[in-house]
Amino acid sequence: MAHSSIVSLEQEERETLRAFITDQLGRGNLELPLLPVVANQVLLLSSDPDSEVAQFSSLIQQDQALAGQIIRIANSPAYAPRAPIVSLQQAITWLGLNMLAGLAFSVSVQSGVFHTTGYEQEVRGLWRHALATGLFGKEIARRIRHNVENAFLCGLLHTIGKPAILHLLSQAPGRSTERFSWRTVESLFDDFHVTAGSKLGAAWQLPDPVQETIRYYQDDQYHQASSPTKGAMITCLAHHLASVMLGNSSHDEKSLLTLPVVQDLNFYPEDMTALLELSETIKPSVECFLS
Amino acid sequence: MTLSTAVDLIVIGSGPAGQKAAIQGAKAGKRVALIEQTRQVGGACVYQGTIPSKTLRESALQMVRFLQATEVFEFRMRDDIKITNLMTRLDRVMRAHGEFMKAQLTRNGIDCFHGRAGFVSDHEVRIQHLDGSATFVTAPVIVMATGSRPRVPDNIPIDHEHILDSDSILSLVYLPKSLTVLGGGVIASEYASIFALLGVQVTMVDTADRPLKFLDQELTEEFCGSFEKTGGHYRGGQNIHTVQWDGRSHVTTVLESGETLESEKVLVALGRVSNLEHLNLQATGIQPTTRGLISVNTHCQTTVPHIYAVGDVIGPPSLASCSMEQGRRAVCHALGLNSGVSPEHIPMGIYTIPEMSSVGLSEQDAIAKHGGALVGRARFHEIARGQISGMTNGLLKMVADPKGDLLLGVHIVGEGATELIHIGQMGLLHHMPIDRFIDNIFNFPTLAEAYRVAALDIAKQRQH
Ligand SMILES: Cc1cc2nc3c(=O)[nH]c(=O)nc-3n(C[C@H](O)[C@H](O)[C@H](O)COP(=O)(O)OP(=O)(O)OC[C@H]3O[C@@H](n4cnc5c(N)ncnc54)[C@H](O)[C@@H]3O)c2cc1C
Repeated sequence: MAHSSIVSLEQEERETLRAFITDQLGRGNLELPLLPVVANQVLLLSSDPDSEVAQFSSLIQQDQALAGQIIRIANSPAYAPRAPIVSLQQAITWLGLNMLAGLAFSVSVQSGVFHTTGYEQEVRGLWRHALATGLFGKEIARRIRHNVENAFLCGLLHTIGKPAILHLLSQAPGRSTERFSWRTVESLFDDFHVTAGSKLGAAWQLPDPVQETIRYYQDDQYHQASSPTKGAMITCLAHHLASVMLGNSSHDEKSLLTLPVVQDLNFYPEDMTALLELSETIKPSVECFLS
Repeated sequence: MTLSTAVDLIVIGSGPAGQKAAIQGAKAGKRVALIEQTRQVGGACVYQGTIPSKTLRESALQMVRFLQATEVFEFRMRDDIKITNLMTRLDRVMRAHGEFMKAQLTRNGIDCFHGRAGFVSDHEVRIQHLDGSATFVTAPVIVMATGSRPRVPDNIPIDHEHILDSDSILSLVYLPKSLTVLGGGVIASEYASIFALLGVQVTMVDTADRPLKFLDQELTEEFCGSFEKTGGHYRGGQNIHTVQWDGRSHVTTVLESGETLESEKVLVALGRVSNLEHLNLQATGIQPTTRGLISVNTHCQTTVPHIYAVGDVIGPPSLASCSMEQGRRAVCHALGLNSGVSPEHIPMGIYTIPEMSSVGLSEQDAIAKHGGALVGRARFHEIARGQISGMTNGLLKMVADPKGDLLLGVHIVGEGATELIHIGQMGLLHHMPIDRFIDNIFNFPTLAEAYRVAALDIAKQRQH
């Protein structure tokens, strides 16, 4: 009896929140968080082929916490520098400009707009998954020799709609201090994160392939993507691999083989084994980005 | 024990070589199993080779023509042209080509299997499917047509992001400012000239003193001249020491001479290797050569006589055109069918900008073989059609015996070279005297007229 009343309470709460988010997302004047200045500039710079390292490092230096994080990541065992990295310029050289741009973007977004009190642990889990997806995406792209350059950012931002939903929930009337059950939040993610992500992607003017990935990365959707970067398809599989690696997937190594996206990417069992083996290097990289 | 399906002919690989082998088998009334590891039929030729590179080339030429027109019509093009925009037609062309080939195979009643083939014995092949399951087929004749892929030299860390090969270069989404092309062969020269035309700063680096060393020197000189006019540089006689992405914005190529080249991207086009790794050749007793190729006799038979190898997997000339013919001939031989006269004069077509093409003996070979040669030249700017079309960079060179009577070879550089060459090829096949090109009438104005001009040039040099 007690159990069923909790369930119905939860259901009620979920319905109320569904109605709230549906209403919010349906509005023309939806208030989405603004992209932090540094993240915005990093994004602009990273899509400009003329950008210079010096511009990046001076930009990142504006945010001390960010600069510190970058240096720490570059010095971490996952990136095993030959000599201690002491300057931003050196860190950029070691991590690579693309990787760094993605990281700087993610760190700055994480600690800024999407810092949602009460869900720190869960939000960390979301970023962990997003980072792992970005890193797997890169390796999938390398394997099919197809546009490695775009894959990281597509993976990193494909579920940006999830923190956006949390952000919306924090604005739910009279609920700002209440913590909803994570189960409820997850069910709202399922229903709304693509729509929320698409709106955010458009508002932040994320690169076209990234916006397309946000819209179409799911198993039953990636066929609709038309970008020649194949970001949506690559991210779809990267998402599954990240879930398996982080232990939150219903798939195992064997059942992964039957996924349509594995078939569409024409991956044989040995290709999948090789990709899964990369967990060994991807896992510590993800952790060091987050710690 | 697993059950094997028995067929008359197994073909492994659906590129140009495998397709023609399978179709020849089916046309002879045989039951054919064609095994392809990728989802689409067509091979590297359709998806990474001939078709995409030629589509990119065509788009680049169209863009340049358009740019030239903008000067006349006073409008501007976008500065940030993406390669993907240039490749818009590519997807359509590839899909149409793939579907056409698939329909052709189905129409001929060929059983197509999607999976990776590996020998179980010299008569049995295991087909591994994507989901890990397997199917087995047996046949009295097996044709290996597994093609090739770009070679990855040990000292070059190709990451498909900054340091690319001829497959990954096709997925670039923007034009880099600068590109170093490692290699001086056909693929290197084709891509180098296409990117240079698109305004990319291109430097080619190779050990040979000139690119495409197997071609007539005058042709390559003309090519280098055009390449340099578009801002390209050829650095011959150089060995590569290291290639490294600096993590920021450039790839640094260090030459053994100590010199350093910096560019936004590097294209590695240093040859190709045969696709043998999944074939489990040990089960057949066939030994690849030290260069990783399959050696065959003139009928494309391997050391195991009922196993044939055709196309890129056997090495040069590594052309789609030759691969198709090898596939057809191998199956004719296996089935005891007449395959017709073996091709004597194989034309070579190189889709650089400008195009180059060659058939028969070069001037140097003719001198070595006949003790001398008379050479006639026609420059495109002397031909009315060349002037009209603005194709003033071009040369047709005819090579004749020392008396100037008999045609021995034709070498052309300039737009349309790969089409024009076939007139010379027919001349060679029919042992045509030089005078036949003079006594006949060509459409006017055409580039074909260059044959007449070059023949007249030879006639002028005859000693009577
Ligand atoms: C950039 C570029 C430009 C080119 N331009 C030209 C040109 O202009 N003109 C020209 O004539 N040639 C050109 N070529 C060369 C031409 O593409 C090749 O010579 C031709 O594709 C060789 O045909 P093939 O059938 O031997 O092999 P491929 O076309 O490579 O096909 C082999 C097939 O076998 C499959 N396969 C491999 N292993 C297995 C296995 N174990 N089981 C099942 N399937 C397997 C592969 O997936 C592939 O589909 C070019 C090549 C490149 C790379």
